[in-house]
Amino acid sequence: MKVRVKHEVCVGHAMCVLACPELFRLSDEDGHAVVKDEQVPPHLQDAVEQAVRGCPEGAIETA
Amino acid sequence: MTSARKPGKQCPISFNHESADHARRWVEEFDEIRSKCPLAWTESHGGYWVVTRYRDIVEMAQNPHCFSSRKTIDQATGESCGGASIPSVPGQIGIPDETDSPEWDGYRSFLNRRFAPKAVEERRARTERFAAALIDRVIEKGHFDIIDDLTNPLPAIATMDIFGLPLSEWNDFAEPLHRLMYLPKEEPGFIEAAGRLQWMRERIEELVIERRKNPKDDLVTYLGTGEINGRKLDDETIWSMAFNILLGGVDTTTALTSNVLIYFCRNPDKKKLFLDDKDAASVAREEFVRYFSPIHGIARTATTDVDFNGQKIEKGDRIYLAYAAANHDPEVFGDPGTVNLDRFPNRHIGFGAGKHRCLGSFQARMMFETMIHEVLTRMPDYQIDESRMKPYPSVSVVNGWISLPATFTPGAKVGAPPL
Repeated sequence: MKVRVKHEVCVGHAMCVLACPELFRLSDEDGHAVVKDEQVPPHLQDAVEQAVRGCPEGAIETA
Repeated sequence: MTSARKPGKQCPISFNHESADHARRWVEEFDEIRSKCPLAWTESHGGYWVVTRYRDIVEMAQNPHCFSSRKTIDQATGESCGGASIPSVPGQIGIPDETDSPEWDGYRSFLNRRFAPKAVEERRARTERFAAALIDRVIEKGHFDIIDDLTNPLPAIATMDIFGLPLSEWNDFAEPLHRLMYLPKEEPGFIEAAGRLQWMRERIEELVIERRKNPKDDLVTYLGTGEINGRKLDDETIWSMAFNILLGGVDTTTALTSNVLIYFCRNPDKKKLFLDDKDAASVAREEFVRYFSPIHGIARTATTDVDFNGQKIEKGDRIYLAYAAANHDPEVFGDPGTVNLDRFPNRHIGFGAGKHRCLGSFQARMMFETMIHEVLTRMPDYQIDESRMKPYPSVSVVNGWISLPATFTPGAKVGAPPL
């Protein structure tokens, strides 16, 4: 599974970081989400799905 | 697809988000409206749409081109039009919250870094010292007012500190801003508080002049010397940004923290988890934001005629996006009327949605955590006198409290630097 943040949609709710701090962090510039590594290890797939569901803007995408 | 639209605003309701009735039973009232008329029209305050469904609110918030935040002031009459609140707060525009793109983009990115998580974390230790000093003032007495002694001053002092304003003046700013938040707009106290804004403006302008001569690493220096698109900020913009930040900073975290301290008083078994488990505390914190929704809603203005959910919104129509209603929408949140501290994921929009989403959310969370931690550790047995609790008469702007007297077993000062 790969994950990415749609930067034009992200506004910095930071729910993804709560769900999966291993893969998401927040920018020092504006608090928007940045993916640390787009490759999702199997043990973090559930957490990433929570990040997808937890984003009010629908800014997290998996493939 | 075309169909004949009935003329006029469909789904008329009798609704006023500023009313005492609404303050008393907003959860139920929003539930009723949401199930009968998710896009409803009220004639209050000159008429506005009331949007109560989560998905509609997010859709509108994500479409600033159609649903504008801009406020304009008629220079001759001082009358204001549009903007983030219904009715419009007269004589004053908030920047960036009452602007649209393209201006919005420059304003917002100018401020982002100062309120981003890293900048906020750098202020945590200082904020903890402010909270400790506030509790030191009352800890030996065995009684205090949660609002007057902690949840009102702490965010105000922290915000003053961000600005670089003298901390001793915190109440000169906080007290009138507090009144602007909950008093009905016709009351003399509201009008007087609005008058105090002029004093605040002059105070900040004084400090800008001083900082241009002696710069420091504070927000006033940044407002006075920074640039957007290669140009310095004019006085009007400086004050409008300061106003926006003061409004955002001063009453909202107060309301959240006060509501949560009531919750912990009534549910003392939840205190331990909050203190012992940082991850659980973060999840709980977001559930509190969802449930209490300190900022109940925000306004927009339609820039064009638009068909929405089978209704015709007309150009110029005012629209109330009821964030609190979205946060209690059963389509999104199971059992929304229950505080579930394990709720996760929690896609609440208590800090708003779309690009105008709260600049200060990280600051708010940090101040909230600081205050809760201070009370739970230094006053573990605090009890609120429920017979003397005084809520805001209106939740139209902030869902908050006027007074929350409490008692506790006295303790010792920790000797934090006095304010």
